[in-house]
Amino acid sequence: MVEEKVICVGCPLGCRTTLRIDHHGDVVKITGYKCKEGRQYVVEEYRSPVRIFTATILTEKSAKPLLPVRTNRPILKSKLKEATLAIARVKAKPPVRVGQVILPNLLNSGADVVATDDLLE
Amino acid sequence: MKYSEIDVAVIGSGPAGMAAAIKAKEEGAEHVLILERQEQLGGLLHQCVHNGFGLFYFGQDLTGPEYGHRFAEKVRDSGIEVLLETMVTRISADRQITAMNNREGPLNLRSKSIVLAMGCRERSRGQLNVPGTRPAGVFTAGAAQRLVNVEGFVPGKRVVILGSGDIGMIMARRLTLEGVEVKAVVEILPYVGGLTRNEVQCLHDFRIPLLLEHTVTQINGEQRVEAVTIAKVGKDKKPINGTEQVIECDTLLLSVGLIPENELSLMAGVELDPLTGGPVVDHWRETTIPGIFAGGNVVHVHDLVDNVSWEAEIAGAWAAKFAQKGRLEKERKIILKPGRNIRYVVPQAISTQNDVTLYVRVKDMEENVQLKAGDILVQSLRVVKPGEMLRMDLSYSQLSQLKEEAAELIIECERRR
Amino acid sequence: MGQMETEVLIIGGGVLGVVVARELSRHKVDVVLVEKEADFGWGSTKTNMCIVCQGADTLEFRPEYHRSKLAWDSMPLMEPLCQELDVPFKRVGELALIRNNEELGKFQKLKSRAEKIGISSHKFLDQETLRQMEPHVTRQAIGALYDPNIAIVDPVRLTIALVENAGQNGVKVMRETEVVNISQKVNEFEVETNRGSIKCRFIVNAAGTSVDKIARLVNADDFVLYPIKGYVGILDKNLGDFIKHEIHMRPDVPGQMNILTPSVHGNLFFGTTMQPARRGDYSTTRRIAQIGIQNVRKIIPDLSEREIIHSFAGFLMFRNWEVGWHECVVQSSRKVPRFISLCIGYPGVSAAPATAREVAELLRREGLTLEANRSFNPFRKAPPVFNKLSEEQQKELIAKDSRYGHVVCRCETVTEGEIVEAVRRGATTLDGIKFRTRAGMGRCQGGFCTPRVVKILARELGLPEEKITKKGRESRLLLHKSKELIEVQI
Repeated sequence: MVEEKVICVGCPLGCRTTLRIDHHGDVVKITGYKCKEGRQYVVEEYRSPVRIFTATILTEKSAKPLLPVRTNRPILKSKLKEATLAIARVKAKPPVRVGQVILPNLLNSGADVVATDDLLE
Repeated sequence: MKYSEIDVAVIGSGPAGMAAAIKAKEEGAEHVLILERQEQLGGLLHQCVHNGFGLFYFGQDLTGPEYGHRFAEKVRDSGIEVLLETMVTRISADRQITAMNNREGPLNLRSKSIVLAMGCRERSRGQLNVPGTRPAGVFTAGAAQRLVNVEGFVPGKRVVILGSGDIGMIMARRLTLEGVEVKAVVEILPYVGGLTRNEVQCLHDFRIPLLLEHTVTQINGEQRVEAVTIAKVGKDKKPINGTEQVIECDTLLLSVGLIPENELSLMAGVELDPLTGGPVVDHWRETTIPGIFAGGNVVHVHDLVDNVSWEAEIAGAWAAKFAQKGRLEKERKIILKPGRNIRYVVPQAISTQNDVTLYVRVKDMEENVQLKAGDILVQSLRVVKPGEMLRMDLSYSQLSQLKEEAAELIIECERRR
Repeated sequence: MGQMETEVLIIGGGVLGVVVARELSRHKVDVVLVEKEADFGWGSTKTNMCIVCQGADTLEFRPEYHRSKLAWDSMPLMEPLCQELDVPFKRVGELALIRNNEELGKFQKLKSRAEKIGISSHKFLDQETLRQMEPHVTRQAIGALYDPNIAIVDPVRLTIALVENAGQNGVKVMRETEVVNISQKVNEFEVETNRGSIKCRFIVNAAGTSVDKIARLVNADDFVLYPIKGYVGILDKNLGDFIKHEIHMRPDVPGQMNILTPSVHGNLFFGTTMQPARRGDYSTTRRIAQIGIQNVRKIIPDLSEREIIHSFAGFLMFRNWEVGWHECVVQSSRKVPRFISLCIGYPGVSAAPATAREVAELLRREGLTLEANRSFNPFRKAPPVFNKLSEEQQKELIAKDSRYGHVVCRCETVTEGEIVEAVRRGATTLDGIKFRTRAGMGRCQGGFCTPRVVKILARELGLPEEKITKKGRESRLLLHKSKELIEVQI
């Protein structure tokens, strides 16, 4: 039996929960949560933590040196650093509009990297 | 031209300014003008490439630029006039505005009402009085954020961050993802200064060392930062002799506090609340100068941009009404005073004839508390922290319980029995 | 640079080096001035608290002190000089606070001695008058000794103005040029710098904290200098009206001083300590900062630590410190011909005008021919200070150059036009822009304007932004470009 501590950040309360996991890897008990959304959040956070990846990419032929981007869906937390590498060589060229896909299916995650700002010149 | 017939002039076009201007238009103001010193609408939103914006306002988890984009589009579609790259250098109590840009030179404008939406600035190293030398490589976290996210530069490759406010933690993550070694986040309090969400997703996620109850006691390096000395602090927040450690680094980021930017407000004679650093406002967000309204970080430092926009909308709405009527009919006001474990309350005055939302910050972290307005129990909370602003909603019926003659209401945070 | 030849080489671009340069440019003399930093006045000059102690020191004046005489002779010269150079000069007057009868007695003695040598401007003020003049001053003061003559200047602006005027009149000036060695030849010196060598007949050694080191290169040194470290704090401009005069109080502890003064730009400056310290250690300490604010609150109790926006330390070089009084070095070497050393720990800025004349005379005695330069122009025009212009003048300026309409430093209202002009006049660093335009000296200490100033510097100098430094040499601001570190670190 293993105990994992997970802070829920679903809301500003930041409940500090404890998960007990059996030798099959199943969560058998959760203490410390205050709401059912939180309960679900911490289980997912334990099993498969995901994050929205936000960053900037370089541009070319533009007056602005950078374009801010994000993934349109969360990706695995463990992939964040790889994601940084994956976009390091990508360059955006104007015109780009908010929401435009810059790099589809980042690292096969199913999430696209999209622009979060316009790049019009 | 149009400059002599402005109904509502909004200074600043960040999440506060844009929201105020849009609301003012919606409430019927004809000529609404935004004055913005940067080259585009949006204020600081452009440099906040991370998400966490609009969770409540739009029900979506947006990045700063996306949040700004939504408002900027609405500004453009609403017929609001915008003067970009225009710095307001002076305002007066009778709503004269002096501004400057490189197309028209000095401008003299007059507006029926003004909304102050200038946001805040960062506390600097000089104000902190960090001893040591004065090398290149010391930046405030926000300035570094602009360099990294807009200008395309990474200030250094081994960074120490003083202060665990939200900007500091966000930059810890951002720099790590740009290949920087963030050697430590140093925090003088026994707990993190910003949101728990950032503690988890910026510091824990990347295993960035968080040194609580520590501070930077010296900066070393003549030309460029070479190291910082940190020490543990006691309960009095003073460094404890003998606990010093030297951390080699080439950059020090300061995330040690935001100060509402009220240079212009002072020029107009607006009274500031020393507890917030921003104007004293009533629940219409009017300042002590009739016709001058304020909303957003210029009034008090917020955590969530959603609240910034909502608050600014109040200011914009009433500024529009003021412009129409020449003044506001106000019912009797009650002054709100911060009581036990409350650092400040905004607005500082309310009427008892409407529902009202108060924004409040506690002085110290506490568990199992009740927030009260006089005798009215508003909310029970498991934990409160100075880094997380609280909302207290008071309904008209609750307020009507107050005694007729009550001129003052104490807002306090009590231990729950 | 390679090889260069000149008549007089001035080593050091602080206030003394440049005032001598300007003085010599009144004559037909070939002059080169070298300064090791990227801009002028960055050593002891800027540690001066901007007080021109035309009188602060007069109570302690003794005609037999060389430094007293130089300050005394400079008194009538400073204001006209500032007018010629178009730099600010403000006569604020000085109040020496008196807390008890013992202090009163001391001051009375000093005053009568000063009167005997012709210094008669001091006046005793009673408590009521003092309070009228300075309502915020401590209730502990029973009166004050008032000298209306004391004035304030901006020592770095003055230095820059002097060097610009010297340049206008033919002096060749080189920055980021450091003297590494000097060899004495028969009738000349060969001076090795980091940028090539200079042959010259005369040397004026005005190298501030390195004066003794430079003198030692030719064994000309027959004086001992003590590095005395001063700590200066700057308070927010919103306190600008708090006091109108320079105010000081006798320190309770020897080695401390307690001076509070307005600056010509509207801040308040305070000075705390004068202690021997290790040369080259420019660090400030928490303890000194606390002493500083504690002392200053003895003068104005309402001041708090939160009002400090910046603080720094610097060195003044004193001679004969251990004897308790301090003299200056303004002398021809007794061992080496045509080699003049000059260093005035205090009052360096105030004594500058007369010192320039004396050095010129010393050079003449060493054999320099001083023939009048008929085209000498004493007037130098300062660059426009946008926020001080009338609206009409502002419009005119913007019409000529629209960059004057773009405000870059919000706190001090400094425009892009002024920054471009500062670059044109020689600024190459962030600090250079700061001292010349005040961009970055305001409340936010460069938080808003720094990235913008760096951009403008890069553009005007034709350099990539990564090459821009805070103060020259190794002080680059932006070490890496976006994504540069990613492949390596991750």
